[in-house]
Amino acid sequence: MSVRLLALAMACAVSVATAGAQEIDRTLPSKLSAPTRATLERLIDSARVAGLPVDPLYSKVREGVFRAAEEPRVVAAVQRLTRDLGDARSALGDSAGAEEIAAGANALRAGLHPADLSRLRESRGLRPDRPLTVALVVLADLATRGVPPAMAAASVNELVAGNVSDGSLLSFRQNVERDLVGGRSPASALDARTRAMIDAERRRP
Amino acid sequence: MSEPDDPRWLDDVAGELRREVPVRPAWRARLLEEVARTPTPSVRDDVDDTFDDRDERPLDAGRRRWSITVGPLGSLAAATMLVALGAGAMYVAMSRLGANAREGASRTAATAASPGLVSGAPASAEREVVRFELSAPRASHVALVGSFNEWNPAATPLSRDPASGIWVVSLRLLPGRHVYAFVVDGDVTADPSAPRAADEDFGSPNSVVFVSSPRT
Repeated sequence: MSVRLLALAMACAVSVATAGAQEIDRTLPSKLSAPTRATLERLIDSARVAGLPVDPLYSKVREGVFRAAEEPRVVAAVQRLTRDLGDARSALGDSAGAEEIAAGANALRAGLHPADLSRLRESRGLRPDRPLTVALVVLADLATRGVPPAMAAASVNELVAGNVSDGSLLSFRQNVERDLVGGRSPASALDARTRAMIDAERRRP
Repeated sequence: MSEPDDPRWLDDVAGELRREVPVRPAWRARLLEEVARTPTPSVRDDVDDTFDDRDERPLDAGRRRWSITVGPLGSLAAATMLVALGAGAMYVAMSRLGANAREGASRTAATAASPGLVSGAPASAEREVVRFELSAPRASHVALVGSFNEWNPAATPLSRDPASGIWVVSLRLLPGRHVYAFVVDGDVTADPSAPRAADEDFGSPNSVVFVSSPRT
């Protein structure tokens, strides 16, 4: 009986530890059919072997299940995201982190060109302490709000080259969005906000 | 088995039992299944049996099935289990208390940050407290779904702030980029104050929150 008590104590201790350590559920939902799960597992495994981040892929699957999407649509979304992740990694370089790659894939999906991402990388340089994630998030957001991608890329690239902070980049996005909602043209809003941001950075001691 | 005369052996055994034992997930699952399958003995029967043993009266087979004989090691194991459970409960309670306190302290910082970027006070060694808000005065139920809760609409309901009528929830998130959306009375909607994610694979758009590391 003491063995069973010990087993119970061990089970309790282990469950507390794992509950605290668990972050991302890297399993596929059981709601999906076996063939679909097998297809998705092959896709995700190939992404993993290629060195791509796989957490966004698991998240995409779970989002599809949550939204009650048809299984072929879930598979297509994962295929597309895998391709975008690969293109983003190629554009940002092998040193890009998982968050940068995921944000880069999202920017490509928004209509940015891989060359836009490469230019951002060149402007920022290889700075592991200053990832491009927020710049890429801002780029994707502007493009989804109707700003022509090339125009958005030029402005954000100028800000990145001007060494503006992530917080300033997000303030820039918020201000442009406000201008667009107010009826200003994307070109006018981007130009005015970019100039203002660069000037503010120059004035900063 | 003879027991050493030196009482320090108890400390040694207790220390060994308290040591964390790595267990494979499959073993853990089997262990938990075994625990679940084990019938729960009636406490009253146990007590009665103990007294029956003292009285040296014969016990019927059905009642003997539930008798528990606890030797010195069994007592030690039970005590260790209670200590472990107590320590675990205390750890969980202290974590919640600490998280709540830090959550309250960091609300201003998180809310004041640019939408989409959160760099409030650290809620733990790694996580940051992020406050999500949505103005939906006519909604009867609002939940948060995203990459941080496996897109589970039951995992993170928002509560209505009686003062402002705004739906709010605070979460502890790891640094990084998180994709999310609100579920308002069953309809999925993006956060109007946050950057959009260009990933409309399943209909409506999502939002992005970027949690910066306190070290960067």
